[in-house]
Amino acid sequence: MAGLAAAFGSGAMTNSIAELEDTKCIFIIGSNTSEAHPLIATRILRAKEKGAKLIVADPRKIQIASYADCHVQQRLGSDVALINGMMNIILKEGWEDKEFISERTEGIDALREMVEKFTPEKVEAISGVKEQDLRKIAELYAKSEVSSIVYAMGITQHISGVDNVKSLANLAMMCGNMGKEGGGVNPLRGQNNVQGACDMGALPNVFPGYQKVGDEKVTEKFEKDWNVKLSRKPGLTITDMFPAIEEGRLKALYVLAENPMLSDPDLKHVKKALSALDLLIVQDLFLTETAQLAQVYLPGVSFAEKDGTFVNTERRVQRIRKVIEPLGESRSDLKIIQELSAKMGYPMEYEDPSQVQEEIARLTPSYGGITYSRIENDGLQWPCPNEDHPGTVYLHKDKFTRGLGLFHAVDYVPPDELPDEEYPLALTTGRIFAHFHTGTMTRKSSALNKEVEKGFLEINPKDANKLGILGGEKVKAISRRGEISIEVLLTERMDEGVVFLPFHFAESAANVITNPAFDPVAKIPEYKVCAVRIEKIDEKKEG
Amino acid sequence: MSEKIAKHVSELLKQGKIEAFIGLKEQQGSKHIIPHIYTDGDNLDGFYTGFNEGADAKRYPLVKTLFHISKRYPEARLGILARGCDERGLKELYKWNQLNTEQVVTVGLACSKELAEFCECYKPYPDEFVEGEKVPGVDSERVKKVSALEEPERLKFWLDKFSRCIKCYGCRNICPMCFCKECSLEEMEFIETGKIPPENPIFHLTRAVHMAGRCIDCGLCEEACPVDIPLRILYKKVNNIIMDHYSYRPGFGEEKSPLNILGSRPDENNS
Repeated sequence: MAGLAAAFGSGAMTNSIAELEDTKCIFIIGSNTSEAHPLIATRILRAKEKGAKLIVADPRKIQIASYADCHVQQRLGSDVALINGMMNIILKEGWEDKEFISERTEGIDALREMVEKFTPEKVEAISGVKEQDLRKIAELYAKSEVSSIVYAMGITQHISGVDNVKSLANLAMMCGNMGKEGGGVNPLRGQNNVQGACDMGALPNVFPGYQKVGDEKVTEKFEKDWNVKLSRKPGLTITDMFPAIEEGRLKALYVLAENPMLSDPDLKHVKKALSALDLLIVQDLFLTETAQLAQVYLPGVSFAEKDGTFVNTERRVQRIRKVIEPLGESRSDLKIIQELSAKMGYPMEYEDPSQVQEEIARLTPSYGGITYSRIENDGLQWPCPNEDHPGTVYLHKDKFTRGLGLFHAVDYVPPDELPDEEYPLALTTGRIFAHFHTGTMTRKSSALNKEVEKGFLEINPKDANKLGILGGEKVKAISRRGEISIEVLLTERMDEGVVFLPFHFAESAANVITNPAFDPVAKIPEYKVCAVRIEKIDEKKEG
Repeated sequence: MSEKIAKHVSELLKQGKIEAFIGLKEQQGSKHIIPHIYTDGDNLDGFYTGFNEGADAKRYPLVKTLFHISKRYPEARLGILARGCDERGLKELYKWNQLNTEQVVTVGLACSKELAEFCECYKPYPDEFVEGEKVPGVDSERVKKVSALEEPERLKFWLDKFSRCIKCYGCRNICPMCFCKECSLEEMEFIETGKIPPENPIFHLTRAVHMAGRCIDCGLCEEACPVDIPLRILYKKVNNIIMDHYSYRPGFGEEKSPLNILGSRPDENNS
């Protein structure tokens, strides 16, 4: 989101989901759309049936790639080079939107100078994508009447995550594919309400609606309304918290609905840090791996047991309604927070979540016109500044949130860890269709467990052959951080030299071996690339 | 116009002819229509009356809902709003001994011409109905169009559609005729687990074979499918084949499917 904020002034999907159906070209990069966002994939396939072009850039042969007009399998972490290479060709051929660039953007000269270096030869050397394919995807994207970019964690979970996003923003602006129907840059959010959590300021540096912590006027507004003194200093990102714990600067941690004991990189390290806390409080639906380390566990409730709103990936604020009373001793998140706050000397007196929505509208300009009565049916898409505003289908129509769109001259930075003699394979991680994130919910479903019961390592048959490994064989996957034992799945989905590990499984947790190196701006770890070695397990020795 | 149905349902409840009525309800302040069980003849608040408006008429798997409720309350007499397809579903469930005619009272609704054309329904009305007008059945242009494709194209058409499948089981779960306790689609010997699309075309052909002589053409499977697989064309086609070879159409008449290998109930001696 930081990348989009820098380029456009706000970070969210710029188009709406339904718009994808009528665009003329869709460029999917770093998103396994049909497995992770199937309903959005359906819109894309509908567009395809209406004649739209489909480009897929993904190191794996994912399901939706079989529908692509062109699928390129770039090397892990080579996205900036790939996108710069596309722009190199676009500028050379004169396919850019000159009018859009001159009227709505700034910074093209520095970018032009940067992408000049990314000749097709250089791009092929870095990404493995051949010139003819690079040319084809550049042409499809630039010459279609209107094109939309769709991306997800395959773009962001890199040390160059912010740079990757900035590059996509560059590409979109260069071709004038911004601020119009069907043209935009669209990060697909991985959870039903992660957009809402970010919108509400569940980030260390912003208040609700991305109003900056430290901005005097903003901070005063919140102080006055909440009748408290507020810090002018941003808090810590999750990536910063672990060192802070180790240095003794952070003594207590309250974790809500997150499972860092599976979702954070380098788990051995995470466990050590969480165990060093004076107090760990975990609020979750179930007693997760993280909750098992906690001194205090607060049972939360599911979607069916509470009233409120979820904000989906297209910025749409939608109502959820309680259909059953909370089970057992669990309570709604709002109730838990209110009671805790009262005990700590700051009573919150909301009788109903709708009162919280009124407060959000009062304090958050982009949510100013969103009330429960207006979202009974289909919800509203922010920005929606006042009661008469119909909501916003696509962002940046006549001008960008920051005024002019800003091009960033982004250079290619290789992943933090690349394969070498000792660890010769590149590992990437991701989601599979049958499970969700750390499996807190899905691994409790018998139907889904029947589908996929345990983790596996996807490897190209040729690589397996070289190692003398058979399909289904249990092997060791070893990185500089740790090792796991896991069954292999031989599949042509993978290119030679690259292996894939789903991240849902605690007993063979991908994050025992992933690299905690992170993006310097967004602090997101490089889950998508690290170097590993696969070893046969010597059965005699292991007994 | 739909006052008639509400009045009829109210009387059935008040006279004790049914204990509950499975219909649709409008919620206050919301345009979303939901299935609802009415139990009080004097209180039909929100009783949905727009069920024949346009081709996107609000439809829910009411027969499947009734099926589940009847399993839990086997003694209860239940009323249900029944279109032509719902009635065909009920008739098949009686034949397959999954429901007892004594348990069910239908309140018939004939579909609009618009909906009949959208569904390409061969009988868009139940045998008896309280509301609506009989409009003629419609032949399926979609089936004709796909059948007219040359074989390699036709195969490509279906393989292409099936390869979108994300194995959500939505088609099976919503189907009023899918009542088996064990489902072939979950047998690992037939269908390998752990991957999408599920084995192509075995997964969908297995289901299609099981729909032969069974599908009552309600079309809910296709409406539920999140990836736009035109399942209704496929199942209409398999039923046309059964019609051509055995002169049998599910949901019509008393006789059982020619593919029924279960035979009769012990208390029936007609075979």
